[in-house]
Amino acid sequence: MSSSMISDHIPDIDLITSCAERQDSVFSRASPWTKGILLVLIVLLITISSDIRVLAVLYALILAACYVAGLPVKKIVAWYTMPVIFVISLVGIMAWTQPGIPVIAIPLPGFILTLTDQGIFMVGILLLKALIVVTYSLFFLMTTKYAQFSALISRVFPSPLDQIFLLAYRFLFLTMAMAAAMLKAVRSRGGGVIRSIRMQGHLFGEVFGHVFIRSFEQAERVEKAMTSRGYNGTYTASTTLRKPHPAEYAVMGIAALAVMAAFILTPHAGGW
Amino acid sequence: MQKTHPASPHAHCAPVDPDRELIHVDCASHTYPDGSVGIHNMCFRVLKNEIVAICGPNGSGKSTLIEHLNGLLIPSEGEIWIRGKSIARVERGDLWKEVGVVFQRSEDQLFAPTVLDDVMFGPLNLGLSKEDAHEAALEALTSVGAEDLINKLPNYLSGGQKRLVSIAGILAMKPPVIAMDEPTSDLDPVHCAMTEALITALKERFHISVVIATHDLDLAARIADRVCLVKNGAVYAEGTPREVFYNTTLIEEAGLILPSTVMTWLDYCRETGTEPVEQPITRQELVSLLRRGIPGQGR
Repeated sequence: MSSSMISDHIPDIDLITSCAERQDSVFSRASPWTKGILLVLIVLLITISSDIRVLAVLYALILAACYVAGLPVKKIVAWYTMPVIFVISLVGIMAWTQPGIPVIAIPLPGFILTLTDQGIFMVGILLLKALIVVTYSLFFLMTTKYAQFSALISRVFPSPLDQIFLLAYRFLFLTMAMAAAMLKAVRSRGGGVIRSIRMQGHLFGEVFGHVFIRSFEQAERVEKAMTSRGYNGTYTASTTLRKPHPAEYAVMGIAALAVMAAFILTPHAGGW
Repeated sequence: MQKTHPASPHAHCAPVDPDRELIHVDCASHTYPDGSVGIHNMCFRVLKNEIVAICGPNGSGKSTLIEHLNGLLIPSEGEIWIRGKSIARVERGDLWKEVGVVFQRSEDQLFAPTVLDDVMFGPLNLGLSKEDAHEAALEALTSVGAEDLINKLPNYLSGGQKRLVSIAGILAMKPPVIAMDEPTSDLDPVHCAMTEALITALKERFHISVVIATHDLDLAARIADRVCLVKNGAVYAEGTPREVFYNTTLIEEAGLILPSTVMTWLDYCRETGTEPVEQPITRQELVSLLRRGIPGQGR
């Protein structure tokens, strides 16, 4: 199994694509429409409900689906680093402003900084919500062949967003490969990522600067190759989208009912 | 053999045989935005059903010429003819329908999510329906022996497979001329041989004229009907491979090294005092010559 070129804590696009292309589980045979609609319903559900039991069950279900689909669950968990940092950087300060039973109190000149049970609970809930969306999105990406995914994007997104998504795919791979090649060159001469960031910060700045410059050059060459085949500014994915199976309609119906039930039963819709 | 001098003032060269000439480029100059001259005094033509090799060292203007053939670049000063008819500047945007280009780096050519999508791209731009484009793509992929790659992601293909798919992407458009920039660069010997066989098949099976830009003179010697030596952005000399490659002074002046067969044969003749009356151009010809005995062997 491949590992990310930079860190095991950053999603490895090669591994994601490889899973999507080689997998043959029941989930990869499902229509991208079904998985896309379920993503929308999941986002709705976590927006409506802040009930930790509902969120925990949902999270467990998604993790179980990943396991059943044969996805590398450990790797997915390792990739949580970025969303966790993102959530904590956003709500970490807010946690100290929540009323509730004090858990930690830090006296500072003029006031006491207090972290309450409600503050911790809020961070936990928001973290869980973020991880649910991240895990399901990875599940979606890792169980959907790119051709199907691009066809879905082509149908759903308006122009020019669809063009950006469709053309970004290969470019993303090429840019990653370029960055990987440069990092290999750095490592081959004794530079390590962490050590070099500390000791050779300017060098890494140069590497990433070069990646950007070379990306522009690459983009120009790709555009030229496309123009040589008559590209006029519009590219349409030609893959036919797989239609949902009747059983998939049932799953979507049940999920929609669950969202409605959560909306009706949740005492305070909205909130965190 | 025809020899021109890049330093001489540009003499406009109109098509001499409009019935046979598919494309004719008369480019007095092409200057890049940074001021560097890509081409000057270039007179180049592609005849029906031929393989023409543009040979020259790095930076001699081979790729610039290929981009002119496809309309990606327009001569700053000059004219382009298609089948003997001069085309207006505005029509040059349609040159891509006449000349398909296989780029040096297949990485740059393949951009779509799957091989099928990529090969269908050109036919769809030609206005074919999805079904017809699909059929054309299948046919092209089968022709290059890459039909099993149809649903693969370009990113996970080997270099040789990428090259085959790039060629299929152009073949699917069925252009009368296909131009290939360094078609065998970065390929292993097996894929080199496959690409070489494919280039020959394009001419013989599909009656497509092929232009190859290369500094691999052995390749040019094996497959080209005509060789154009390019130097400093101009055609320096042209003729059959035998005429061009046995002119050692010319090859040296062009900044190239003789094909290995020619070099071996000339070294052999020099060392054995044999007069190089016969001029083998490929390894097979050399082997055949050695087998039947060398006429005029002295010493």
